[in-house]
Amino acid sequence: MSEVILKDLKKVYDNKVTAVHDVNLTIQDKEFIVLVGPSGCGKSTTLRMVAGLEEISDGELYIDGRLVNEVAPKDRDIAMVFQNYALYPHMTVYDNMAFALKLRKVKKADIDKKVREVAEILDITQYLKRKPKALSGGQRQRVAIGRAMVRDPKVFLMDEPLSNLDAKLRNQMRAEIIKLRSRINTTFMYVTHDQTEAMTLGDRIVIMKDGFVNQIGTPQEVFNRPVNLFVAGFIGMPVMNFFDGCKLLLENGKYFAEIRGVKFELDEFQQKALKQNGVKPCDIVAGIRPQHVTVGSGDLTATIEVSEMMGSEYNIHARSGEDEVVMLIPTVDLTTDVSIGRNIRFTTKPGLIQLFDKATGNNLIWYDADSAANNAPVCKRYD
Amino acid sequence: MDAATGTLKAPVLKKPGNSASRRLRNFKENAPFLLMILPAVVVVFLFCYLPIYGVLIAFQDFMPGDEILSENTIWVGFDNFTRFFNDPQFWPLMKNTFLICIFGFIIGFPLPILIALTLNALKSKKVGKSLQTIFTAPHFISLVVLVGMLQLFFGSDGLLASIAAHFGGSYKSLFLKDSAFRPLYILSSNWQDFGWSAIIYIAALSNVDPQQHEAAILDGASRFQRVIHVDLPAIMPMISVMLIMSIGGLMGVGYEKALLMQTDGNLHTSELVSTYVYKQGLTGIPDQAYAAAIGLFNSVINVVLLIIANTTSKKFSENSLW
Amino acid sequence: MEKALKPKKKRNALRDTVGDKIFYTINAIFLGLVALIVLYPLYFIVIASISNTDAVLGGKVILYPVDINFDGYARILEHTEIWRGYLNTLIYTGLTVVLALLVTIPAGWALSRKTLPGKKLFMIFFIIPMFFGGGLIPFYNVMNSLGLINSMWAIILPSILSVWNLFMCKTFFESSIPGGLIEAAKIDGAGQWRTFGSVVIPLSKAVIAVMALYYAVGQWNSYFSAMIFLQDEEKYPLQLVLKEILIASESTVGGSGETMLEQFRLANQLKYVSVIASSLPVLCLYPFVQKYFAQGVMIGSLKE
Repeated sequence: MSEVILKDLKKVYDNKVTAVHDVNLTIQDKEFIVLVGPSGCGKSTTLRMVAGLEEISDGELYIDGRLVNEVAPKDRDIAMVFQNYALYPHMTVYDNMAFALKLRKVKKADIDKKVREVAEILDITQYLKRKPKALSGGQRQRVAIGRAMVRDPKVFLMDEPLSNLDAKLRNQMRAEIIKLRSRINTTFMYVTHDQTEAMTLGDRIVIMKDGFVNQIGTPQEVFNRPVNLFVAGFIGMPVMNFFDGCKLLLENGKYFAEIRGVKFELDEFQQKALKQNGVKPCDIVAGIRPQHVTVGSGDLTATIEVSEMMGSEYNIHARSGEDEVVMLIPTVDLTTDVSIGRNIRFTTKPGLIQLFDKATGNNLIWYDADSAANNAPVCKRYD
Repeated sequence: MDAATGTLKAPVLKKPGNSASRRLRNFKENAPFLLMILPAVVVVFLFCYLPIYGVLIAFQDFMPGDEILSENTIWVGFDNFTRFFNDPQFWPLMKNTFLICIFGFIIGFPLPILIALTLNALKSKKVGKSLQTIFTAPHFISLVVLVGMLQLFFGSDGLLASIAAHFGGSYKSLFLKDSAFRPLYILSSNWQDFGWSAIIYIAALSNVDPQQHEAAILDGASRFQRVIHVDLPAIMPMISVMLIMSIGGLMGVGYEKALLMQTDGNLHTSELVSTYVYKQGLTGIPDQAYAAAIGLFNSVINVVLLIIANTTSKKFSENSLW
Repeated sequence: MEKALKPKKKRNALRDTVGDKIFYTINAIFLGLVALIVLYPLYFIVIASISNTDAVLGGKVILYPVDINFDGYARILEHTEIWRGYLNTLIYTGLTVVLALLVTIPAGWALSRKTLPGKKLFMIFFIIPMFFGGGLIPFYNVMNSLGLINSMWAIILPSILSVWNLFMCKTFFESSIPGGLIEAAKIDGAGQWRTFGSVVIPLSKAVIAVMALYYAVGQWNSYFSAMIFLQDEEKYPLQLVLKEILIASESTVGGSGETMLEQFRLANQLKYVSVIASSLPVLCLYPFVQKYFAQGVMIGSLKE
């Protein structure tokens, strides 16, 4: 059992700047949790508070049921993989991995056994005698992970471990981390600014902005049920299309979304949820994912400005009034002319439209005021 | 979520805020740093701060052996200073010190910049490196040897004397001429240090992005124009910092070299404030209070010059020491 | 990427304009002249040291040695004061370097840490002496009251810490030791001493080398504190012995007896030889450590 609980965790710097606001998060045993957000959102600071590298200004941090606010990093039973690996350049790979164990006065033979065992798992046995300088980026990354693994930590902390690798290697290492995870089966806390990494690695994702947690949820949840505009815009590639100046209408007991003067009758689930939330007609921002745009028919129109051939699909940037609309059109069933300057018609399934309150930016359906008030926002549940 | 925390054992520390215990723990963790810095503090205290305290004798009627602060201390205020201002040596000393510094600065400041720019503009980097090695070498010659060498060249039995003798001319040692002291002092200092002083500029120049040069080439700049419009601006911040430092040291010429070069024959130009302090305070019948007062006066001038230089620089550019 | 490197060669082959050619030529001539000015005095000392003294005194040795002989070198071997001075200087320099490193490096490390308790006060404490000092006389009195007159510690102890070097170290540690490494060590369970010894020191060879060299050259070349603090001639460092040999008082011109003349001839040759003998170690060592020196100057410049 290595549960990690962050309770009202807060970081205030000396200059009174609050970097992290009352984060509440319970990381289950053996869960892989990813903290994601733009730079400066407080995700790294949160991780570093868990590691013990940053002082906790307020709140409580429990690892495995033990309050560790005042416990030195080495006694927290955690291990950390740093962004730039932080390998000791003057030590061999072997010594790098053995250093922490040596400091813990582990017997030489045991150290040797453990290091070799981990090296075997990570496939770096042949590099044990080398210095980090003589390794490639991917190999260094593995050593950094190995150094953390030899300690058998309860919690594995990773601070943007892939951001120093080139794109190809990053994909490769991402896959390896997934494989690794199934082997070492421990709790992971992973920080990244890359939403693809977050989506592919995390059991749950914590999306942060300006020191606040915006949403905690599984990849499916944050993709399909973003609680606010920020999460909606942050998760998903290409970025969700937002239509400003839309209206939520209630006519004859039915909710409609009016986008650019076109009325969409919302589907059954949306009707039920909106009713349950007691939503009144209001100005909204409507969000439609590029993947959900249907081109060639419908009442919405746009003028193509950029047309990017991506291989399997076209990435169309079109202008619709004030808004830029991005749509993905698979090349296989391309029947529309997508050359620049063309006017096209498009539409979407009403059930796929995300409805955000223009005033607050919150999702009219998924925003859960109770969990948000608790600073652990999750999407709202409906039974 | 709340249910999960509820199952926990009661936390030992309820509010681990900015408590005293946390501060104590922080202090314990960082206390080794204090031990690491301690020896340096002791050394600086003994050899820098005790003398600063000892400068109080400048305001006393002090005899060697007296205690600096005791009930017998005779405070004389600024008497030692006024005595110095009325010393017939005062103006000659100020003039000598100022002139040697100002001439030294006029030659010694631009020379390393010129050398760095020209070295950097050499076509062959290899030759540049070798030349740099050669130019830096004299820096490692000791002052004693340097002055010794000067004598071997310009002294009464030196090379010039020998050549003059060879051709039947007469020669008077440059060390015995008042007029020769300053050129000899300044030129030899520059000979010794121009290469060393250039290093800092050379290093700054090596950091210039080659693309800047390439862009300039495409714009049609000649190599000389690139020196003026690419290289020189690149080292400008460094130049300002060095300028402030030199102005701060404008009256700070030391006694080491001047003492070695001093002879009865060139005393009119070679007696500087610092050498005078040495002679008054440590030779003959020492007058320490007087010497300390002169030394303090000189230090204060230097600090004031530095502050003026820094403030001026701050005003006209963003470069400053603090 | 690799292709991008290729045009470099071509660029070098680009033909210079006439103006550029003139510039390069003038530049080369200028630097050549400067090199000559630097090298000739050194060269002259060497040829004079192996030439016949009379030829040197007669102004015949200018471009090449005349009557090559090594009498001067043979004589310097018998010159006990020089060798005693040499030995003293070696001892003083060795002690200075060892103590200086022990004082400067840990202090520089501590000063580079944000978590050093009272960091601001320490900074001020060390900055003040950079710009203001008590001056020679109070310094002498302090040494006197510490009982260091006529002790070799009088020339060693004050030179074991240069505040400039301390700040240079601090800057090096701040800029060259990645913060991540220190945090990694912390997570690995290393305390401050362990981190310093096992992580920082092994990564600081460059700055340690620079410091050792700065302190060594400083002590090797200094004469003044020895002159004012040491009274026994057996304690004189090399530079002080050299001062006696090289810097004859110009105002006292000796008599003209036969032996006087002979002595004068010998003394003259000894000057050239002793300049070489004393400067050779440093000058020989220096090209090898040049890159470290340059590095040191750069580190120092980052201070601002």
